[in-house]
Amino acid sequence: MSPVEVDLRDARTFDRGIPHEAFARMRAASGLHRTPDDLRHGRGFWSVTRLADVVEVSRDPGTYSSEVGHIQMYDIDEDCLSARASMIDLDPPVHTRLRRLVSSAFTPRHVQGYRSAIRRRVRRQLDRIEVAGDGDWVTEVAAPIPIGVICDLMGVPEQDHDHLVELSDHLVAGTSSEPLPPDAYGNTTELRLLPFNSPAASAMSAYADRLAGRLRDEPGDDLSTQLLHAEIDGERLSPAEFANFFRLMIFAGNETTRSAMAHLALHHAAFPAAFGRVAGDRTLLGGLAEEIVRYSSPILYFRRTVTRHVELGGTPLAPGDKVVMWYAAANFDERAFDAPLEFRPDRPTTPTHSAFGGGGAHFCLGASLARLELVELLDEMFDRGLRLTVGEPSYVDSNFVNGIEHLPVRVDRDRRRPTTTNESTR
Amino acid sequence: MSADDVAVRVDTEVCIAGGQCELLAPDIFEIDDDEVVAVVRGDGRLPRNVALEVIDRCPSGAISIVGGSDHIPASGP
Repeated sequence: MSPVEVDLRDARTFDRGIPHEAFARMRAASGLHRTPDDLRHGRGFWSVTRLADVVEVSRDPGTYSSEVGHIQMYDIDEDCLSARASMIDLDPPVHTRLRRLVSSAFTPRHVQGYRSAIRRRVRRQLDRIEVAGDGDWVTEVAAPIPIGVICDLMGVPEQDHDHLVELSDHLVAGTSSEPLPPDAYGNTTELRLLPFNSPAASAMSAYADRLAGRLRDEPGDDLSTQLLHAEIDGERLSPAEFANFFRLMIFAGNETTRSAMAHLALHHAAFPAAFGRVAGDRTLLGGLAEEIVRYSSPILYFRRTVTRHVELGGTPLAPGDKVVMWYAAANFDERAFDAPLEFRPDRPTTPTHSAFGGGGAHFCLGASLARLELVELLDEMFDRGLRLTVGEPSYVDSNFVNGIEHLPVRVDRDRRRPTTTNESTR
Repeated sequence: MSADDVAVRVDTEVCIAGGQCELLAPDIFEIDDDEVVAVVRGDGRLPRNVALEVIDRCPSGAISIVGGSDHIPASGP
C-alpha cells in the first residue's frame, strides 16, 4: 500500500473540497486503504474508494450493515444508536417498512407535481439576487430553495423555514472541530445521545413534537401528517420515532441539494463551455444536473459495519470491521469514468455515479426531487441568460458533507443571448 | 415488439420504490401509489438493452428478466 499522507478523520483535509490526489492514490493502491486505530478517535476503518467496491457494499446490507454500529466513521454506544435511529440507520426489512411510508411521494412521476412550486421558488430567489446585483449565492439561492421545498412537503409553515435552516446548519457543524456549547437551544440531553452529537438535534426534535401536536389536531396534506397516521404492524410511530424521521427528512432534503446548488454556481463559472452548450440544447439539462451531482458529491461518505468474514477489493475483512464508502472518491474512479476530472454534461448514464449512493436499500430517497430542483434552477438561469462571477467559497468544516457555507457572487445577464420566455423543454 | 424484446418482473419484497425504472421506461414501470412498489404494466416486455440498463440502475436489485440466466425468483409467498 502506497503511503497516503492525508488524515481522513480531519475535517481540514476537506477544507478546499474533495482531496482528489489522495483519493486517486488510494484507488490505485491494491486493497482498501487503512486508517489506523488511534487513542483519540478509537478504532480505525477501511476506506472504499473504487466505484465497483462502493456498489458491492451498498447492495449487500446483510454483509455490510447500517444497523450494527454507526453510519459515521466514529463509534457510539449501543444506547445512543437506538436513541438516534431513523431509517437511514436500519437494515431491511425494518428499513423497508419505514421507507415505504414515504417513498411514494418521491417517485419520478410524483415529484413532477412539485415542478411549478419549485419553479416559483427559483424565480423568487433569482429575482432577489438579480435586483441586488450581488450577494451570497448560498444564503440567497442554494439554501432557501431546497429547504422551502422539503418544508412544504413536511408541512412546515413558511415562517419556520429559517429556524430549520439554522438547526440543520448546526447539525453539520456538529461533525466539525468547533461544536456548539452543550446547552445551546436549552438542550438538557447528553450530547452522545444526539445525532451528530449536536444540541441542535434536540431542538429539531422539540420542533417536530410541536408540529406533530398541531398536525394531530389539524391534519394537513403533507408527509408529516401521513407519517403520524401511518401504521406499521398495527402500531403508529412513537413521538421519538417521528422526531427522528422528521429530522432525517429535513436534514437530507436540505443540506444535500443546497450543496449541489452551491457547487452549481462554481461549476457555472468554471465550465462556461459546458453550461453554454446546455443553454442552447435543453435536452441536456438532465445530464448537466447529474454531472453537477457527481462532481460535487454533496455527501462525502457513509460507513457500514461488516457482519461476516468477506473479501472486498482485495482486502480480507472480519466481523466488526468498519468500511467507509467515499462516494467522493468513487465518483472520480478512472475505471468507471472517462477523464473523471473533466466536467461533461453528456456522460453516458451507465455506470451511474454514487452521489445518491451506490444502490441498494439506502439509495437516496430524494434523488428524483433533487434532480428536478437542479433542473428547474438551471433552466431558469438559462432562460434569463444569467452570468455569475464567483468569489472565494468557504467550505463547511466537515469530513462528512462537501458543503459550502458562503459563496459571494455578482450576477448579471449575458447581453449576447436574447432572453427567452419559453416553457422549459426536456 | 421485436425478437430482441424480453419480459421483466419485479420482486415486490425487495423493491424500495427508488423509481429508476419509472424514469428509464415509464411505459413499462410505474410506482403504485398504494403498494409503493414498481409494477410491470402490460406484458412487461421491452427491448433487451433497455431492460439491462433498468436492471443495472435499479438500486434494490428487484428487477430481473423472466427466464433469463440472471433471473432471481421472487422471495416470499
